[in-house]
Amino acid sequence: MTGHERAEALAAALPGASLTTSFGEATVDVPADAWRDALRLARDDHRLGYLDWLSAYEDTDAVLVVVCHLVALEPVEHLLVRTRVDAVPPSLPSAVAVFRGADWHEREAAEMFGLTFTGHPAPGPLLLPAGFEGHPLRKGFVLAARAARPWPGAKEPGESGPAVRRRRTLPPGVPAAGRWRPADQDGEQP
Amino acid sequence: MLCARECPDWCIEIDSHTEEEPAAGRRPRTRHVLDRFAIDYALCMYCGICIEVCPFDALSWSPELVAPAAGVTGLILERDQLGVFVTGS
Repeated sequence: MTGHERAEALAAALPGASLTTSFGEATVDVPADAWRDALRLARDDHRLGYLDWLSAYEDTDAVLVVVCHLVALEPVEHLLVRTRVDAVPPSLPSAVAVFRGADWHEREAAEMFGLTFTGHPAPGPLLLPAGFEGHPLRKGFVLAARAARPWPGAKEPGESGPAVRRRRTLPPGVPAAGRWRPADQDGEQP
Repeated sequence: MLCARECPDWCIEIDSHTEEEPAAGRRPRTRHVLDRFAIDYALCMYCGICIEVCPFDALSWSPELVAPAAGVTGLILERDQLGVFVTGS
């Protein structure tokens, strides 16, 4: 069974699944409630026993999408399994029960996007320091370090503490306040 | 101040205040006194812009490595810790 046939068989075996192919790579989209079943089916019935990575991204309509890259070894075949997380607050069953290697991938996706993976054995931040607020990889997350933290170079010799607000100097390359939005729908560039 | 201003990563923090030295016969002479000079080595990219831009050549490269720390805040080195790099001990 070639890689593409494998993807088609997997998509056919799961209700509600669909298959897309892009640049030779197949992606199977599954509903969120079939996420763990899809991974288990891929691992047991389709030789996709190696989890390469599991991550997420935020779609244009602010819905989180979780993607998992599975690999079959000898011969090597790839498959992307993807699901949209429509639950509010966003949560998805953990894949750790199927692939132990998903542990740290899910912890990173959880802290970067604000996802909850139910059934994760040891949830908690992986990369972000303790006390970090916000979810950095969401599109609405501004690089707050530049917006909130005062620029150390704004102080004149002889000043200490927060810079005096007589003259709002901006460091080079930082857009003016109020312009930290991504490009608007009508194509306006910041 | 130029190092703090030109650092692309905003990793240099400088605090200072002015002191006046009274003098007879003329207005007091003001002197800048350094309070705090800190470099956040969690942010430092070792680009060397601060060294290039200093008009007094106060900063220089050092072959010493920054010591590992338990957390991100442990990599903010204050003036006394930075003095270790200058003397090389």
